[in-house]
Amino acid sequence: MISERLKKTILKELQLKDFHLKDETHAYQVPGWDSLTHINVILAIEKEYGVRFTTTELLRLKNIGELQVLINTKCTENS
Amino acid sequence: MLFNTIQFALFFVIVCLLYLALPHKWQNRMLLVASCIFYGIWDWRFLLLLFTSISTDYVCSLKIQETEDERIKKRYLLVSIVINLSILGFFKYCNFFLDNLQILLNHSGIMVHDHFLKIVLPIGISFYTLKTMTYTLDVYRNEMKPTRSFGDYALYVAFFPQLIAGPIARAKDLLPQILAPRKFSLNRFYEGCYLIFWGVFQKIFIADNLARIVTPFFNSQPPYNGANVLLVLYAFAFQIYCDFAGYSNIAIGLGKCMGFETMANFNLPYFSTNPAEFWRKWHISLSTWLRDYLYTPIVVSKRYWGSWGIAFALMVTFLVCGLWHGAAWTFVIWGAYHGMILIIYTWIQPLLRKIPRPKDVLLDNLWFLVKILFFFHIICLGLLIFRAQSMTQAVSMIQSLVFDLKFNKAEASNIGLGIISFVWILIMVQLLQFKTKDSMAVLKLHPVVRAIFYCVCLFLLLVYGATEGNEFIYFQF
Repeated sequence: MISERLKKTILKELQLKDFHLKDETHAYQVPGWDSLTHINVILAIEKEYGVRFTTTELLRLKNIGELQVLINTKCTENS
Repeated sequence: MLFNTIQFALFFVIVCLLYLALPHKWQNRMLLVASCIFYGIWDWRFLLLLFTSISTDYVCSLKIQETEDERIKKRYLLVSIVINLSILGFFKYCNFFLDNLQILLNHSGIMVHDHFLKIVLPIGISFYTLKTMTYTLDVYRNEMKPTRSFGDYALYVAFFPQLIAGPIARAKDLLPQILAPRKFSLNRFYEGCYLIFWGVFQKIFIADNLARIVTPFFNSQPPYNGANVLLVLYAFAFQIYCDFAGYSNIAIGLGKCMGFETMANFNLPYFSTNPAEFWRKWHISLSTWLRDYLYTPIVVSKRYWGSWGIAFALMVTFLVCGLWHGAAWTFVIWGAYHGMILIIYTWIQPLLRKIPRPKDVLLDNLWFLVKILFFFHIICLGLLIFRAQSMTQAVSMIQSLVFDLKFNKAEASNIGLGIISFVWILIMVQLLQFKTKDSMAVLKLHPVVRAIFYCVCLFLLLVYGATEGNEFIYFQF
């Protein structure tokens, strides 16, 4: 389940008013989320949650649901 | 065996008849044998290289799957990358490297003689190397599980419609279609036949006829007339598009006739208004490959560099893209040109977004047309570098475009009318596809209109089609 916090962060970075994000949503299905803006979204998420992802972790993500799981794991490790 | 020959047509009819008569398991075996015959006709020794790549990735992907140890996974991924790139590097870039090394040493005062090796470039090597590497990379990234069936995996790489010049299908898309029984669909078969017909028309009527304008011009010596350069560039823009999109349509159509669905390789690229959009629509299977397996890993690892990280990743990706197309400085500089355009675009994109769209529909359409035409000329300038036989010729032509843009009425109208007479039907079809947002829009036309369309195409093909049986441009890559 995508949290409101993650949804807000993504939509704010992409300057979108609203978009329905599901677990299965792929990055490139979200308007404005393309290969050129991808990294800005990742940086915004890292800043919002105070975490750092490794390159392999990011490359293995298949959809936003997996991104949420990764964030939750990182936050648990940090706390 | 070229797609645009009678021999291939006969070959495909035999393959299709056998395919329809056999059960699933034997269909795959027959397709693998047919693919080997298709490829081996060029030179049977190429098959050894093809199967070296196939075996490497078959073994490496299984080893990656078997272990939980990240270091071992990475080691097998590296083995796959090193072996594949070494083969590609030796056969495609060895002479380029030796040639440049000799020039460098001679400039430094160390005189060395020519050390050219007689290396034949195995046809399709750039395409199948990317295809087979994709498989191991996807297994490493947990995007798919490897198959234990060597024959089915070999068919994924060697599948004859896509073997020589793509589309570079992903294993996660094509392999499941190979592993599962395919259902015959009359509708899909009809779509496949249409794509083959349209692809042959694009190649033989449009591309090969435009080649008669383009090739002599690029074989000629300077000085050039700027206006003629511009018109020949328009001709080349349509030639290379129809040559490669035509090939892709035939490849996708052949697959469809046998029940395989393949990703589209072109989506009206000349309707693009910016470089990012262009690369989403031109040679899609290569641009998405580069995006997923080269650009993204670089940009992710360099994300703390900010916009410089994006610029670095773009430049590296497009330099590789240029070099992938051929071992020549013109291709490298063409890659750098596109990398630079994309970097500039990412920097000015926020400003471009602030330009208000005209509220009037007519003005809005006109503005859209201006953007398309402007960007088309930027693409044409890149194509000049791409097509030129040397950088000296490219510079000479660019100089003529800047300093000698005088129209000679007789010459210009000759070239211009030549181009229009070959591309008018393409433009009509593309306008229909653009308006309906449907690549199969022709098939949805009224049956009478469709019949007229087929008759006109067939007439043009039979009466005015080029009969030289030219190779497809992308075969050399």
